[in-house]
Amino acid sequence: MNRTLNVCLIILLLVSVTTGCWNLREPDQLAFIIAAGLDLNDEGQLEIASQIAVPAALSGGENGGGGGGGKKSFVVVSGTGKNVMDAGQNLQAQLPRILFYAHRQTILIGERLAKNGVGSLTDMFIRNPKSEMRSSILVVKGGLAKDVLSVEPTFDPYISTILVREQIAVGMKPYYYRQFLSDALSQAMQPLLPAVALTPGNRYRYAGSAILNKDDNLKLVGYLNAKESAYANWIIGRQTGLSITAPVSPGNEELSLNAKSLSKKLQVDLQDQPRITVMLKGAGIITENNTSLNPTKNNDLKRIEKELSQATQEAVQALVDKVQKQYNTDIFGFGEFIHREYPNRWKTLRPKWNAMFPRLRITVKVELKCKDPGQTNSAIDSML
Amino acid sequence: MKLTRIQLFWIVATIEIVMAVWLRISPAITTARQDAWLSMLAGGLMGFAITFLVVHLSMLHPNESLAEFSQKLLGRWLGKLAILPYLTAWFILAGDVLRTFADFVHLILLDSTPVWIIMLLMVTLMIYMTLNGGLSGIGRFCEIAGPITVAALIVSFLLNLFNIEWHYIKPFYADSGWRAIAEASYPPASFFGESFMLLVIVSYLDKPRKAMSASLLGVAASVIFVFASTVMVLLVFGPNVAAKLRFPYFMLVRTIDIFNFIQNLDIFVIFIWVFGVFAKMSFYLFLTSSEMARSARIANWRKLVWFSAPLIFVIATVIPNENTIELLQKLWRLIVIPVCAIGIPLILWIVTLVRKEPTNA
Repeated sequence: MNRTLNVCLIILLLVSVTTGCWNLREPDQLAFIIAAGLDLNDEGQLEIASQIAVPAALSGGENGGGGGGGKKSFVVVSGTGKNVMDAGQNLQAQLPRILFYAHRQTILIGERLAKNGVGSLTDMFIRNPKSEMRSSILVVKGGLAKDVLSVEPTFDPYISTILVREQIAVGMKPYYYRQFLSDALSQAMQPLLPAVALTPGNRYRYAGSAILNKDDNLKLVGYLNAKESAYANWIIGRQTGLSITAPVSPGNEELSLNAKSLSKKLQVDLQDQPRITVMLKGAGIITENNTSLNPTKNNDLKRIEKELSQATQEAVQALVDKVQKQYNTDIFGFGEFIHREYPNRWKTLRPKWNAMFPRLRITVKVELKCKDPGQTNSAIDSML
Repeated sequence: MKLTRIQLFWIVATIEIVMAVWLRISPAITTARQDAWLSMLAGGLMGFAITFLVVHLSMLHPNESLAEFSQKLLGRWLGKLAILPYLTAWFILAGDVLRTFADFVHLILLDSTPVWIIMLLMVTLMIYMTLNGGLSGIGRFCEIAGPITVAALIVSFLLNLFNIEWHYIKPFYADSGWRAIAEASYPPASFFGESFMLLVIVSYLDKPRKAMSASLLGVAASVIFVFASTVMVLLVFGPNVAAKLRFPYFMLVRTIDIFNFIQNLDIFVIFIWVFGVFAKMSFYLFLTSSEMARSARIANWRKLVWFSAPLIFVIATVIPNENTIELLQKLWRLIVIPVCAIGIPLILWIVTLVRKEPTNA
């Protein structure tokens, strides 16, 4: 009798405890934030825009039509506030479901806010226990984050997924929030964020990257275009693939190489004026050849490789000069490299690094290899 | 109630890994930066030394626990007095762990559940475990929970391999220096030094002569996994970010993202972590109850569970905030480890040697 009573009590306890009903949070009571956009509005207030998934619109699936057809797969709501969570309260006022942060994939920063500095806004994205650091972070060039979030994408239902995939598609490794934070807290690495822009047709476009200055409240310093960003990421080690097109003599006609397996090596000569040599290597397949050269022949191949390397070397050198002279920020992590490899020397260099960086003598060497001439030998039009 | 050597190994490993991985990584990184892994190894060495001392001492007194041989060596009253700091330390430790566990679950999972309910559920379970299973029950549970915890750690490391950035761990030594590395090694050492509970547990072993290898291996396993977690945290977040995180290992698990498909695995890890916390709490409930019973010569230690369990619960409840938890951990490192893990065992060991002398002569 006593035993039966005990068992009953235990079952009762288990039923009331294991269901977790007092802490109930069903998916249909949640608003899944999949992207967050941070802007400064015309009054100079912080404005947060959130892209929220509308699951009902997805249920129609690829068959089209059905119950969900025609419905947008997301909504964008925005609100102003003193900080991110304060604005979040404002968003919540427009939504009948509780905001849920754990599925956020992308954080966008509008240009005006970036110019004003984002240093004070980084805390929430890691402090909030529901938040995480898997998000990718981008800057919106010449526009508002809110507007990019409203773009209706072509393939996927959400722009946030696309912005991550876009980074992979242009050959770079996606830039995640944790890397951004690590760069921003590092001793000498200035954050280089991927950038997107709005096109007139209300589409998005990968626009290269944005340089923030971590020594000045993470204010926007300037942009690099898509090509320059690829070179910069190559030097940093975040680029996996790159398509290089350059004129090759004789005739200066274009030839394209799809370079994979990019690698970099830095060499530092630490005299009183440090010299840095950047050695970039890449190998790939020739994908387009409008020259009269035949890449299956050894001599021609050598010439192609040499001239491609030469042209790329000049382009990368120009980028490095531009960053040194115009932007004056160490986005390549040269300082961090010295810090890692020559830590004792770095201690004396560190205080004056920002002043030294524009005057550093940096030499770029590029070595490209054509592993494979592609499917044809000499160019088709030369036979016509 | 007899323990096998394998059970002893898993008890030591489980109860040490479970808190050290959670709480000791980011303090070490804050002080020693990217060289924190060295601090973990140095701390491990201190843990080894403490373990060697206490197990050696226990093996000189086979089948007697701390409460008994301290009375034998120091006399009845002094012996009883000697046990007091231990009981205090274990009660505080248990209360502290219970509160940390409940706060974390409250923060991450059950944010609208009062913390005391989470603690009450845990206390109920550990009373059941300790009363029904006793030490062998806890030992058997550790034989299951330990390997699962270790497996979860290994899986979480493997799934994070894609997130590794090797340069985060450089430069070696130059940024921190031996002073910072040594300073950072003491907090983890104080957690590895928790093995002074072996003063009691060795007496329960079925073959006490083999206690040394099992204990040292248990500590070694803890050191290896805490070390590996530290290295992984450093490689994925870098020292700057890792130093800012309160629970860097947990964040490491949340960072897992394989093909945009395998993500949000933190919930599994919390589950597994709760196993370990449960093992640890039950173990300390047993330890305090049985040692009080042995010290006061009460035949039935189970009665004392009804004193220990509420006391642990009360200690956990009265801790007002995070600041106090840190204060308690400081107390643990600055007083408990020097007194309970080094001071008293050394005195007891010397007395043992001195007393042996006449019989040998």
